[in-house]
Amino acid sequence: MRSKGTNHNTTFGDKVLLLLLVFLSVYSFIFIKEVMPEGSDIRIEAAGKLLYTLPIHINKTVEVNGPLGTTVVEIRDSRVRIKESPCNNKICVHEGWVRSGAIICLPNRVIVSITGKANKKHEDIDGITG
Amino acid sequence: MKKTFIVFIALAICALSSCNPGKESIYKESRITMDTLVTITVSSSSDTVAKAAVDKAFREIDKLGKLLNFFAGDSEVTLINKSAGSMPVTVSKETLDVIERALHVADKTEGAFDISIGPVSSLWDFHTKTMPEEDALKEKLKLVSYKNVVIDRKNSTVFLKKKGMMIDLGGIAKGYAADRAAEVLKNSGIKSGIVAAAGDIRTFGTRPDGSAWNIGIKNPRQTGDDDEILAVIRLSDQAISTSGDYERYFIKNGIRYHHILDPKTGRPAYGCRSVSVITKEGVFTDAFSTGVFVLGPRRGMEILKKMGFDGIIVDSDGNILMTEGIKGKIEVKGNKP
Amino acid sequence: MESQDKYRVALLSSYALALHGFETLIPSPIPWLRLGLSNIVTLVTLYQYGMKPALMVTLIRVVLGSLFLGTFLGPAFFLSLGGGLAGAFSMGIVITLFPGLFSPLGLSLIGALFHNTAQLFIAYLFFIQRIDAIILVAPVLIAAGTLTGAINGIAARYLVIEIQKADRESPSPMTGT
Repeated sequence: MRSKGTNHNTTFGDKVLLLLLVFLSVYSFIFIKEVMPEGSDIRIEAAGKLLYTLPIHINKTVEVNGPLGTTVVEIRDSRVRIKESPCNNKICVHEGWVRSGAIICLPNRVIVSITGKANKKHEDIDGITG
Repeated sequence: MKKTFIVFIALAICALSSCNPGKESIYKESRITMDTLVTITVSSSSDTVAKAAVDKAFREIDKLGKLLNFFAGDSEVTLINKSAGSMPVTVSKETLDVIERALHVADKTEGAFDISIGPVSSLWDFHTKTMPEEDALKEKLKLVSYKNVVIDRKNSTVFLKKKGMMIDLGGIAKGYAADRAAEVLKNSGIKSGIVAAAGDIRTFGTRPDGSAWNIGIKNPRQTGDDDEILAVIRLSDQAISTSGDYERYFIKNGIRYHHILDPKTGRPAYGCRSVSVITKEGVFTDAFSTGVFVLGPRRGMEILKKMGFDGIIVDSDGNILMTEGIKGKIEVKGNKP
Repeated sequence: MESQDKYRVALLSSYALALHGFETLIPSPIPWLRLGLSNIVTLVTLYQYGMKPALMVTLIRVVLGSLFLGTFLGPAFFLSLGGGLAGAFSMGIVITLFPGLFSPLGLSLIGALFHNTAQLFIAYLFFIQRIDAIILVAPVLIAAGTLTGAINGIAARYLVIEIQKADRESPSPMTGT
């Protein structure tokens, strides 16, 4: 079984294939950029300072201190919640688990927000009133 | 073949890395200030310039928050309230500005927006579901009238005529702060951006691609994740504020008690579910959205037309009313009653 | 199998092994990103002697290589095995079904693509089981595979041309049938 044909110059098939593969590479990158929840992070801010940026898929409980005391933030199964809060109204705790958007505890000045593509619920909207 | 191929690869790499040096990009930052979440979004070609400008704008809002806070013991507003019935209080230009505009709006809305509602709103607590006693309400209502708020431009003083009167700038301060923050941004070399103090949004300039900013209006009866937005409106160099009965409320015996109180009755106003007002300045959108809400859909619309403002009203049956001026700029997502 | 063929396979396998081992010495920016130099040998084998020897060479290279490197029967071994066989198979099938359609360059690209696809598949089935992670890695592998596939293809083409030139000038015992 000798070589198939003696001409080993680049064939038309080669060119088409290479073009297709480059096309596929580039567009798979673009596809990933658009579709995947690329780098979804949980940002935890307290009293105006960014304290943590954590990947959403870890399981972790962190404690942050605000003016009223310690707020406990829990990350589990790609969701996040405020588990305990020293504030009075506990609106943040009642919000429960979230996968996108943010939980904000105004009294204790804690902002837990989820960034990244997965959070782009309203990608074309620059602000929300109401 | 070879040439097209190289061009294609170059284009593809460009698309991937978005190789456009000096291109305007969005910088966004949120902070808790004025007892709410304030988000500033700016478009700038330099991250450093954007950060510095945004920081300056936040400091301006912080400053205003300290002056105008109804609850802080050391604010100018608290000082005015403490001196009610006894003496005029010298205040900063900013505080005077806000109160002056508040009185203007009160005048235009026939008292539907009234900053002297303080004594009555203090009787309600929407977290603990506390309603005022009938007698207490009647008693405190007597203290509510913006006509008894006297400002003296020349001496920069504010005086509340009756003892026990209290002004609460919560319905106008955030809009004013958004305006001021936008001015600070412009003076710091930012050409376009958004200042959103909770629901009070002030836009200036356009998005990096030259289009208007898209602002979503919250659905007052949201049921899930997919119907959060009632409509999207395109704005540039305009402000929008929304007042809604869904922001702070409790339901008792099937009745929704919400935080937008009618200064005439001291009780929640029931004609609307949500009112959005659009005009150049946030200080007016903020105050008028409350005033129009209290007046109800019919009279509210009349006032908007008279003032030359734009607005969207969701009435108590879920119907959406809007002024002629925004019909081409708005996209209504859904109308679930 | 004739003894001559056995020699060939053994010799080619040792070339492949050498390249395989050599490659592990080159530091790579990403751990699982490899040049896949041993595919050059697979490709040359395929061109000169056909699919069966090419598969044999691949199999020997993977098994011995993993024994030398101490990864035998570990995850890396199965990834290497699946990728190697898929690459050799795909190239063999294409050259049999469409002779002359591709030069060694195109074949190498096909081999690299199937090599990587197979590895992703195996990784998903046995090791990672997170489709989002796989999808995330896929574009990198496709792009890297295209690049390394092209490099290897060009190298293989050069080798095939040189070998055939040598054959025509003085037929050596290495080439028969």
